[in-house]
Amino acid sequence: MSLAGLQDGARVTPVARAPARRRRPRLEAATPGMGHGVALSLLPAVLLFGAFFLVPLGVVVVTSSSDWGPLGLSFTGLENYRILFADAAFWSALRNTASFAAAAVLIQVPVGVAVAIILSRRIRGWRLLRTIYFLPNIVSGAALALVYVTFYNPRYGLLNQALGTLGLDGTRDWLFDVDTALPAVAATWVFTAGLVIVLVMAEIAAIPEEVYDAARVDGATRWEQTRHITLPLLRNAIGVCVILVLLFTFAYFDGVYIMTGGGPADRTLTLSLYAFQEYSNSNWGYANAVGVLLIALGLVAIVAVRRLFRIGERDF
Amino acid sequence: MAARLLGRSSRGVFLALVALACVGPVVWVVLSSFKTQSQIFGRGDLLPSPFSLDGYEALFTQIDVTGYLVNTLLYAGGGTAGALAVALLAAYPVARLRFPFRRAVGLLFSAGLAIPIAGLIVPEFVIMRDLGLFDSRAGMVVFYSAMWFPLAFVILRVYLSGLPPSIEEAAALDGARYFQLLRHVILPLARPGLATAGVIIFINVWNDFLFNLLLAPSSEHQNVQVGLALFRGQFTTDIAAILAGTTVMMVIPVAVFVLFQRQVIAGLTAGSSR
Repeated sequence: MSLAGLQDGARVTPVARAPARRRRPRLEAATPGMGHGVALSLLPAVLLFGAFFLVPLGVVVVTSSSDWGPLGLSFTGLENYRILFADAAFWSALRNTASFAAAAVLIQVPVGVAVAIILSRRIRGWRLLRTIYFLPNIVSGAALALVYVTFYNPRYGLLNQALGTLGLDGTRDWLFDVDTALPAVAATWVFTAGLVIVLVMAEIAAIPEEVYDAARVDGATRWEQTRHITLPLLRNAIGVCVILVLLFTFAYFDGVYIMTGGGPADRTLTLSLYAFQEYSNSNWGYANAVGVLLIALGLVAIVAVRRLFRIGERDF
Repeated sequence: MAARLLGRSSRGVFLALVALACVGPVVWVVLSSFKTQSQIFGRGDLLPSPFSLDGYEALFTQIDVTGYLVNTLLYAGGGTAGALAVALLAAYPVARLRFPFRRAVGLLFSAGLAIPIAGLIVPEFVIMRDLGLFDSRAGMVVFYSAMWFPLAFVILRVYLSGLPPSIEEAAALDGARYFQLLRHVILPLARPGLATAGVIIFINVWNDFLFNLLLAPSSEHQNVQVGLALFRGQFTTDIAAILAGTTVMMVIPVAVFVLFQRQVIAGLTAGSSR
């Protein structure tokens, strides 16, 4: 979205709720000329979906157990995975991806929910504020990466200038110091909760006013209403947001590729960057083993979060 | 009363801090792109004074920014048009007609949104190469159409199923054939849905980095994201030009968002709740 910004072309990933079936389809495809039309109409989507989603999925799974590169392919069983689990760079990538995921779930989502609850009270300027919070999701991950490369620069970056002005140490090279690189990278996106804000605000707007009536009669304060009525009712929306931010962090690429290249000492390497590096090194089979784990991680996250948040059950 | 005032001001501080973290560095970079090199290094004011276009001049003379912008526009425009066309053709029957495997087809295309395509870089490269689409502008347009039609499909399906059922009844009485119906009745009615999906897809394709880098690596096929991000690596000394480039990368999506904010927000809400 960057809709995502949310980084990496920010793909909006739909998750929850079975589609509501409001209406019975009226026209039988069996009407003369229609069946033909329907088949023809679906054809481009079927072809593109096959070529760019289904076939790649099959290829990535099958060839993850092969030694594959520009020169040829030979199947090697589970050798890639065996090497992978003994590969220090892979563990770094997994650990960093887990750290980013934790930052997304524990900071990005709560910040977004809090902002959404406040803006939903329609405070003065809420529309403008929502636009401001959403802007980083509109700007490309690549541009944001360049912004923060400048922001963190030890010689002319705003951060060190500000620290220097305050009399603090203003010489640290944040992105290339093994102690600060990972949090410095996470800080570039963890407070940009635009997508969470928009989704949670939409959900709050859908809660019927009557839900609050009894609480108001009982004299509950606004905070009590938020805490005991609104928040529990946001379960579905928050669950969807958790899934989205997790999928974005698993695919996190542009920022680390541009800001750090995964360094220093693999401290900011992510799984998708590692897969790309191995692809660039012509280790296609090995890159695909990383890709399979990336996809599996995404599926596990979707299933687990849906269970945990009981997504799909309606409360109102 | 005092507690309430305190609550209100801490709320304000919280909102301001989040806003600062979101756009502070971006605003600083945009402002700094209008400074001279010596002002940037001078640790001076936040605002440029004097206002300078040195960075932009250096940027546009050193590299083919216009070429990158033209490519990006072609990819974003072509990819959006392709994704919308494919999605409308597929979403209409799934949303409103009865045919075998209707539900399965709907689920399948929607699932396209949950597939983390970043895990598929090698097969995407190989398929593009084998189809003769690798490192070409037409290839990028086809790829972006494929990558983004599932999102448009989901948005359009929701939108189309909300239209009244009388449409097909009237058309059936007229004896209109399938594609006539689609072209003359459904297409005009679907415009708001197409706009919503189109704006989101346009911005996303405009901002793509990974797949342009992967699938069309030669310089004359790069978009503005890849072209200018790699430019930074080559010329690290001309900071003003880099800041100007960063600003150029951001300006179109921000303009599109400001103009079509309603569509973006409606589309995200529809796209993610499914």
